[in-house]
Amino acid sequence: MDAIPQPARPVLEEDLERIRSVTLAMGDLVDQAIHRATDALVRRDVAIANEVIRGDVAVNALQADARQLCFTAIITQAPVARDLREIMGFQHMAGELERMGDHCVNIARVARDLADLPPLGDYVDIPKLSQQVAVQVRDILSALVAHDVDRARATAARDDLVNRLYHRLVDELILLMSENPENVYRGTNLIAVCQNFERIGDRVTNLAEDLVFLEAGDIEELG
Amino acid sequence: MSQLPMIAVRPNEMATLAAETQPEPQPAMQVRGLGVRFGSKLVLSDVDMSFPTGRITALIGPSGCGKTTFLRSLNRMHDTTPGAVVIGTVLLGDTDIYSSDIEATQVRARIGMVFQRANPFPTLSIYDNVVSGLRFNGIRKRAILDEAAEGALRAAALWDSVEHKLRTSAMRLSGGEQQRLCIARALAIEPDVLLMDEPTSALDPIATMRIEALLRKLCERVSIIIVTHNMQQAARVSDYCGFLMVDDARVGHLIETGPTVSIFSKPRDSRTEDYVTGRIG
Repeated sequence: MDAIPQPARPVLEEDLERIRSVTLAMGDLVDQAIHRATDALVRRDVAIANEVIRGDVAVNALQADARQLCFTAIITQAPVARDLREIMGFQHMAGELERMGDHCVNIARVARDLADLPPLGDYVDIPKLSQQVAVQVRDILSALVAHDVDRARATAARDDLVNRLYHRLVDELILLMSENPENVYRGTNLIAVCQNFERIGDRVTNLAEDLVFLEAGDIEELG
Repeated sequence: MSQLPMIAVRPNEMATLAAETQPEPQPAMQVRGLGVRFGSKLVLSDVDMSFPTGRITALIGPSGCGKTTFLRSLNRMHDTTPGAVVIGTVLLGDTDIYSSDIEATQVRARIGMVFQRANPFPTLSIYDNVVSGLRFNGIRKRAILDEAAEGALRAAALWDSVEHKLRTSAMRLSGGEQQRLCIARALAIEPDVLLMDEPTSALDPIATMRIEALLRKLCERVSIIIVTHNMQQAARVSDYCGFLMVDDARVGHLIETGPTVSIFSKPRDSRTEDYVTGRIG
């Protein structure tokens, strides 16, 4: 068979590259938003919280771009097999990243509401939970760049660590609230923060499943 | 217990689901160690494949990979080609169609064929075209011929448009109608298997869609094996696919077979993936 010049499907390859780039750009924004939302909470900084809330517009816009690029590639390039899995996988990932951005907005809103109140138990170990979730997000994005299915599986397996931290924090916050009714308002809000971080961790697992599907064609339940 | 919503499942999705949960249907045809040679030139080698009963199987692959040669070997079309030699076994049910005690005409009475270009007999009427196979097999009774003609034309989704002009020339029909007439002609002899060699490649998109819709209905009564260059068509109409490709010596080989949804979502062989994704062609 005669050699076909590579890439044999330049338009599709270009579309896929753009979809990957947009998705990874979303990942970077979410990574920043996690850090900034945690900063806003710990420093009780309304300005940073507002930046996170406003910044979500960019994440949403990128998701709309990703959706449009995926749609266009499907109708104009009729992708199949790996190409189709990649498009479907990235489209789903963009949805997950958009929701992660929303979780950061929720955390930033709580940070704004609590900014004028004294910290509760130095916010217990919420920064530790945030840090672990941020590590998870960065790890899954690295796995995505490297097409590394094993790394994705390992990242998903570490979601247990996030869950354990989450449950411990909730227990601690419940204890603080039971000790003093004045802690209830801040405590319930901080439980909501923990829940948002925990949900980001779950979405990292979803991204890992997407990566396995995209690379290997297998639908695996990693959670 | 709450009732689960009913989900419509397309037939070729059914094939994939079925393939995962139960064995595929009994084969209507099987080939074992099939090869085809023209003189000293080997063009197809060592093909093992089954064609499930009541299903549509598509043969896909780049130009020159031996798809049509393969298809034509399934009803002894190479018998009259000088220098052609077919090696291996082709079973229709339990019968080896190349057995020395079986005539090619007996084979073709059970394995019909539709070609790339519609080829109605130009001097015959619509009716006479449809019943030509039956007459060739010695059937003369008018009532039997009438019933067979109507049944075949209905099966080919052509009855309503030709019912009142059965005696007019077949050449008065449009290209798409002529192709459906050829399908009706093939169906009239009630074959077990229908071979189709790029049956829509000369048709416009509307006529193509009508034929594709027809195939889905036809496989309730006949097993279909279709050669197509159009991968989207293979994905749309077939339950199973076989991918063929030539090696460095330009000999065609069967690379992979499987449920169509698997071939187009997660093929096992990287060459299949390269072909269906358009990286080679």
